[in-house]
Amino acid sequence: MNSENEKNTPWVCGKCNSKLELQKVKVTYLGGSFEVELMKCPVCNFVFIDEDLALGKMLEVEKGLEDK
Amino acid sequence: MDLDKLLEVGDLCIHPEPPVCNATCPVHLDVIAFINEIEKGDFKKAYKLMEKRIPFAKLIGKICDHPCETVCVRKDAGGSIQVSELEKLVINQGYTAPKKTLPLPKNKGKVAIIGGGLSGITAAVDLDKKGYMVSVYEKSNRLGGRLWEYESDTLKKEEIEEELQIFERQKISVTLNTAIDQSRLETLEGDYDAIFIGTGDWEEKLEINRESFMVGESNVFAGGKLAGEGTSVIGSVSSGRRAAISIDRYVSKVSIMASREREGRFETPLNYKTDNVLRVEKINKQGDYYTEAEGIAEAKRCLKCVCEDCITTCSHMQRFNISPDAYIRQINQSERIILGTHYANTMINSCTECGLCKERCFLDISMKDVIHETRESMVEKGKMPVSAHDFALKDMQFSNSDRFSMVRKQPSKEQSKDLFYYPVISYSKYAQGLYKGTGKTGYLFYPGCQLSASHSEYIGEIYKYLVGTMKETKIDGDVGMYLGCCGAPADWAGRQDLMQENIGKIKDVWKEMEEPTFILACSSCASIFEKYCPEINTISLWEIFDKYGLPETKITPDRGVLNLHDACATRNNPKIHESIRNITKSLGYEIKEFGYSKEKTKCCGYGGLVYYANRDQSNDFVQDRISESTEDMLVYCAMCKDLFVEGGKKTYHILDLIYAKDLTSAGLQKTPSFSERHHNRAQLKIDLLSEIWGEKQTMDTTNELDFSLIIPDDAQKLMQDRYILFEDVEKVIDHARKNDEYFFNPETKNYLAKLRHENVTYWVRYEENGKDVIVNSVYSHRMEVVEEP
Ligand code: SF4
Ligand code: SF4
Ligand code: SF4
Ligand SMILES: [Zn+2]
Repeated sequence: MNSENEKNTPWVCGKCNSKLELQKVKVTYLGGSFEVELMKCPVCNFVFIDEDLALGKMLEVEKGLEDK
Repeated sequence: MDLDKLLEVGDLCIHPEPPVCNATCPVHLDVIAFINEIEKGDFKKAYKLMEKRIPFAKLIGKICDHPCETVCVRKDAGGSIQVSELEKLVINQGYTAPKKTLPLPKNKGKVAIIGGGLSGITAAVDLDKKGYMVSVYEKSNRLGGRLWEYESDTLKKEEIEEELQIFERQKISVTLNTAIDQSRLETLEGDYDAIFIGTGDWEEKLEINRESFMVGESNVFAGGKLAGEGTSVIGSVSSGRRAAISIDRYVSKVSIMASREREGRFETPLNYKTDNVLRVEKINKQGDYYTEAEGIAEAKRCLKCVCEDCITTCSHMQRFNISPDAYIRQINQSERIILGTHYANTMINSCTECGLCKERCFLDISMKDVIHETRESMVEKGKMPVSAHDFALKDMQFSNSDRFSMVRKQPSKEQSKDLFYYPVISYSKYAQGLYKGTGKTGYLFYPGCQLSASHSEYIGEIYKYLVGTMKETKIDGDVGMYLGCCGAPADWAGRQDLMQENIGKIKDVWKEMEEPTFILACSSCASIFEKYCPEINTISLWEIFDKYGLPETKITPDRGVLNLHDACATRNNPKIHESIRNITKSLGYEIKEFGYSKEKTKCCGYGGLVYYANRDQSNDFVQDRISESTEDMLVYCAMCKDLFVEGGKKTYHILDLIYAKDLTSAGLQKTPSFSERHHNRAQLKIDLLSEIWGEKQTMDTTNELDFSLIIPDDAQKLMQDRYILFEDVEKVIDHARKNDEYFFNPETKNYLAKLRHENVTYWVRYEENGKDVIVNSVYSHRMEVVEEP
């Protein structure tokens, strides 16, 4: 699912001031859950999802699951 | 959902029924497809369509006696379409020699064909193709029979001979100069699996079944003139072809007549109406044949007869390019899927449930009912996509929460004594109404959630008018006020659970108030009350205006002409149609009716929650209706107005004509955003309570913020398009600042924060400037991220 969630993002975690890293994260929708790689703060686990990802791939998967 | 019943409804729809030309053609040329190819100038494809249906197409196409033309629907509107001339043109321009096919093993059986005329050669070639060993016996010295009678400049000897070469190419045995009589026939019967007689006449009378072409109960079949085809060329070849099918079935020992009802000429149930067909004279050929241009012009005259009455007026079926019969098949499929993708979901949620289809269909097929039932079934099975209606349902929840909903009796004399000095020498109608209060609530004004959101400024005025007016009517009792949402969103979303709960609450209020008459100002409310609580008496505000007089307003004559758009929810409510027209005229306007109005009105695009489930589809409806208007529009439903104005059309709500301070700007008034709608409702309640009932309601949600939010126009547009509310944005930023939970981009100095609320995660990207927070973007997703190490 990691499309535009670019590895070299300038965004940092506001609380920890740490650089984000690509890591496996669990996401759930409509009772199903699966693992995807997303950018997140390695210290506090705050997960980052940018606009392109939310409105692109993520929306597509949501719609796909809703029509199952 | 009863799927068998559903399929029965689908079978009723005559959309797939052929036009009369096709039904009358004994070999059923697909005339419309054929003509469409001609119009496109694709004569090769047109010829392929002839070849598919007409035996010896290159020859028969030139001499067919065209029974289709006798029945053509265009007959009395300029003359029948000259299909026969078009066929000749297509042969000239589009003939291509048939592709060589690999010879099949001829092992299915042996068939003798007696007589090499039209029906005989057709049966012979068809049976050969099916894999039979065929032997033709012809008494003359050549095949073709009556074909030769047509030999001329247009059907040359060489052409006939060339086409008949198929017998040599396919190695079909032909014995010329051999007459077969009854006694010879009897000897042949044992040598062959079946025999076909196509001799035109026969010494003995044959008992021929006109459907199967079987003679008595034997292995002998007969066609052509013998089988009653007279002199019809196309009838003869058709009988040969159909007899060949019977022979194949007979030899293969399968049911001879199963599902062959429509093989010969048949009556089509399609009864194409010509009332609105403009006369166009037929195109006469200048030479021996049509030129391409002449043919194309003639093809254009064809009406392409098909029943699509409901489709031509429905932006929904047009967008999905679907007819009711096919739609129902898709629903059936979708309902039967257990695992797998429900591809029809988006379509099913894009119908406005406006009901026009049923009005247009002479069979009363109601896609509205079919689709509504489907939505309820999807909800029951947990197959309804949550995102389609979630926002609208939350909006309904808001309207029925404390923030908006309220029920009040008319203020008593005692309660309102601070409002008016007593005794008042000349008091307003309203004050008079208040002083006459009896304590019993005879009427309950129920303006509905959408009017209260779009036109909150009018609600108090209307209420005062009602209090002042209803005291003079015979009905004894005060006018109370009830704010809330009738539940239309739940109904449209197929959510019977929410619908029943909501209607239960409304009925409780009604009983508690001793069964008052509801005064309704929203067309959706009116149809919901009628559907779910017919025991509650209702009257529309418009009927009250009409019956008891309009509020005092400056009335000037000749105020102009307006296109009146009836709300689709009032389709079956002539009382509303009439009172709206009366009021409009009283107000000094002339009405120009739409072609589709009253019970045949169209939907503005809001119905069925399509505005939320498929915004593009909603826009189709908006634009379709706007395109039919020639004047400014007049509506009496808040959502109709908002959608038309959003679509760029100057539109008045009927209340604008009565109450607007500045009429011109009212017609173009920007549609309030979703956030503004919430705010307007909440504020309306606060204002009414304080002004009329002298009560104070505090906004419990206004929690103290330590920042001020600035949302530029483009961010507001994003919020609207992405169904994100002001309060969602506020909560996200507040949470981020209080908990230090956000991302930061040192390059742009932007913050990005998120917060999950119910089933949605909201994200806001913003900048800070002192106490100001400037929103740059907003978005959301429904998937939940599990934040754990
Ligand atoms: S009007 Fe529509 S539903 Fe009715 S028969 Fe024709 S195509 Fe079918
Ligand atoms: S108008 Fe066209 S489709 Fe209709 S009957 Fe005539 S040829 Fe057939
Ligand atoms: S209810 Fe309205 S939108 Fe739905 S199929 Fe019928 S005409 Fe079309
Ligand atoms: Zn962190």
